Amino acid sequence: MIELKNITKIYDLNINNKVTALNDINLKFNEGELIVLKGSSGSGKSTILSLVAALSKPTMGEVIVDNKRISKLPDNFASLYRRENIGFIFQKYNLIPTLSVKENILLPLVPNNPNEDECNSKLNIVLEQFNISNKKDTIVKNLSGGEQQRVAISRALINNPKIIIADEPTANLDEKLSLDFIDMLRQLKSQNKTIVVATHDPLFFNLDFVDKVIEIKNGNII
Amino acid sequence: MLLSPEVLTLQILNIIFLVFVTVSLFLSIRIFFKWDINATTKEQYKLEKQSFLAATIIKYILAIKLPLFLFFIFTLDKLSISLTGAMCAAGVVDATQFGTYLFILKIINIYLFGFWLIIHNIDIKNEKLPYTKIKFGFFIFIFFIFITEVIVEYLMFDAINIDQMVSCCGTLYSSSATSLISNIFILDTKILLVLFYGLFMSLFISYKFKLQYIFSISNFLFLIISIVSLISFFGTYIYELPTHHCPFCFLQKEYYYVGYFIYTLLFIGTFFGFVASGTNPTDKNIEKYYKISIIFSFLYLVLVSAYPIIFYIKNGVWL
Amino acid sequence: MLKINLHLIEYAINSLLRSKTKSIFITTIFTLLVFLLTSIFFISNSIKYELNSTVDSLPQIIVQNIKGGKSYDIKTNIVDDIINIPGVSDAIPRVWGYYFFENAGVNFSLVGINSYETQYKNSFNELIENYDLEEDSMIVGSGVKKLLEQNYYKNYFNFIKPDGDFKKLNIGGTFNGDTQLESNDLIIMSIENAREIFDMSKSKATDISVKVDNPIEIPMISSKIKSMYPNTRVITNSDLKVSYQNIFDYKSGIFLALFAICLFTFFIIIYDKSSGLSSEEKKEIGILKAIGWTVDDVLKEKFVEGAIVSIFAYLLGVIFAFIFVYILQAPILRNIFEGYSILRTTFELPFVLDLQTLSLVFFLSVPVYIAATIIPSWRTATLDADEVIR
Repeated sequence: MIELKNITKIYDLNINNKVTALNDINLKFNEGELIVLKGSSGSGKSTILSLVAALSKPTMGEVIVDNKRISKLPDNFASLYRRENIGFIFQKYNLIPTLSVKENILLPLVPNNPNEDECNSKLNIVLEQFNISNKKDTIVKNLSGGEQQRVAISRALINNPKIIIADEPTANLDEKLSLDFIDMLRQLKSQNKTIVVATHDPLFFNLDFVDKVIEIKNGNII
Repeated sequence: MLLSPEVLTLQILNIIFLVFVTVSLFLSIRIFFKWDINATTKEQYKLEKQSFLAATIIKYILAIKLPLFLFFIFTLDKLSISLTGAMCAAGVVDATQFGTYLFILKIINIYLFGFWLIIHNIDIKNEKLPYTKIKFGFFIFIFFIFITEVIVEYLMFDAINIDQMVSCCGTLYSSSATSLISNIFILDTKILLVLFYGLFMSLFISYKFKLQYIFSISNFLFLIISIVSLISFFGTYIYELPTHHCPFCFLQKEYYYVGYFIYTLLFIGTFFGFVASGTNPTDKNIEKYYKISIIFSFLYLVLVSAYPIIFYIKNGVWL
Repeated sequence: MLKINLHLIEYAINSLLRSKTKSIFITTIFTLLVFLLTSIFFISNSIKYELNSTVDSLPQIIVQNIKGGKSYDIKTNIVDDIINIPGVSDAIPRVWGYYFFENAGVNFSLVGINSYETQYKNSFNELIENYDLEEDSMIVGSGVKKLLEQNYYKNYFNFIKPDGDFKKLNIGGTFNGDTQLESNDLIIMSIENAREIFDMSKSKATDISVKVDNPIEIPMISSKIKSMYPNTRVITNSDLKVSYQNIFDYKSGIFLALFAICLFTFFIIIYDKSSGLSSEEKKEIGILKAIGWTVDDVLKEKFVEGAIVSIFAYLLGVIFAFIFVYILQAPILRNIFEGYSILRTTFELPFVLDLQTLSLVFFLSVPVYIAATIIPSWRTATLDADEVIR
């Protein structure tokens, strides 16, 4: 379902300084799988994530999702693809602290100008799933770490995407919250979502519901 | 005259437009020659980003140009007070050799920018961005027309001399004048009216039966006949004077600024008529364009027809 | 066709509030610009209005004797010829001039009135009825009275004649003119006294004011007078109006040229401020794009932000200008325009609301602001999201 074919990604930092983040790699993920990308920072795993999310374009090669070449999509279409198909969970949540929970979660929908009913129905699904209905109107900066985590996941899921992408989701969390997060991943897997997690947190490496662990080092798959 | 605040404002904005339109020109040339949607080079990605800038600039210019055109007419109207002999904008337009050309250029440019935007909107809805090269090539053409407008505008305002007598619309638009405009009056009013209403019927029928060619010809003719019949016939009922044919005087306060409504309706109606004429029949937006065109052209028809009808009801006779 | 996206507007407002300092800075500069522009236009409109009112009370046609391009005293015997022109209802010789009062550094307008004839101005007729222009008295405008008192002349004044002698006239009464401009520098006296002060002979007058039955015939009659007396200058009151308009536009034009420079500065400042993105702001755009906002969406949001700022600042600027000019009576700023008058006047600026002025200021400020934000907004919107999120 997700295929990276002969992907090479080179970043030009300046004229003389080029960084090869990925070197002619090939990957295939099937629908409903939970894949863990393992590697230290700078290994290229984050680059794979941004390629799958059509956030960046490969220097060479193709990214194909559900038989669609997303690597060649012009910017606006790439963003639309992302909006509808990808739920992104960032390392530091990256919520907007001065907005409420509700406003943060609905942020991906804003450009569509949805009416109130559509907003509320989508909102209530995720609020209930992650147990934060009572905090709907609270300003995010007043929430605890765990609650913010759940808001971040809710935002990623508001459009009911097929693919979830998580970039170092537990890097800033204590063990309890990390385990909470893993529980939520389990929940999502049971909904048949395809999940790709980039992490160097060992908690992920031996989970029972992980389908594949792929190790990346210096832009190559080991 | 060059230093009147309104004129200076127009010139300042023109300079800003000039700067931005030149930026757009460079981008357009680059894109027109180097665009390759299938390429995966950095160059191409940069071009894709730059196409956003060019499009934004063009949207901005059009968005300002529309109200600015109304302001331009307002300015001409105000200038007419200072020019001896001019009673409305018509006199100011006629004061120099540039006036009429400037007017036509401004209207053409509004249509052109509008068309560009329609093409742009169609283009970006398609993943392959198929019309990008064409639309930027088209823009290069528009650039030269726009530059011409800016230059002529400067020349016109520079040439206006307050000490020179100008003709009032009464002489310009009368049947005894010898200018191009007087040729309008050769046509018998009855024939004009038949053409006017007939063309609208033709518009409506070709819309209903989706006859695109007939629609596009009718729309173009409708625009021309509308203006001619407005000057020759309907205008006189707005003024309630059989000899007053000026197309500018009814923009003034005494007539409740009805001129602005009249021209806006006509513009929107015919503009979308042109758009519908040029759209691919399979595009699902074409229905929307047809509808807007017909509705606004119809509103225009109703508005101008209302004057003679109301006059007849009030007075029992025609002019 | 266009449904208003309230969510987007809410987000834009919130975004503006998030970068408070930048937003406040930009709004302040914009408001200041609008304020200055609007104030200048309000002041000049009011003065124009005031002046036009003055012009309306002036005679319809004035005939002056021109020699070498300058106006000289005119012979009064041509009055009879002028009255005989069909359409002319009256021709009245006027004796008036300026008297420079050295101590105060101001000019008075002295007008001579012949009590037994009809006046060219209706208000003068009233004055004759109410006051008696005796041999040695004059009637002064209220502003003049005040000025004289400030210079220790309470009941009379000594005019210095061209030959060096004094002419003492008592202050017989005070009046408020048709407009404030008049009452502030006008002195009315008998025609003989005026002639004496200006050393003008009986057969001469400063100019001749002509009244016409039908105002439409003014241009025709003035050209007739001109052809009868080729070395005269014939001024109609519409000529005056046009020339005032031109002076004002010229003066406003100079300011506009100066403002063009201000606008340019404004443009640069806004451009610069909008371009400088903190890493916070960059990250935010990166997040928006990562969660599915297109470049067009980000551009739209930036535009909404710009629209909010410009409309808010525009309204604020106009309101402040209104308060400054019409309630506070525009201290300092109005002096720029008062060069036209002979005396430092202290009249009240009448309220003149002109849609064209407001739209003029709108077109000078808002499009310039938006233009300044186009390239910075575009740069922001086309940031590569992936590089910002790492």
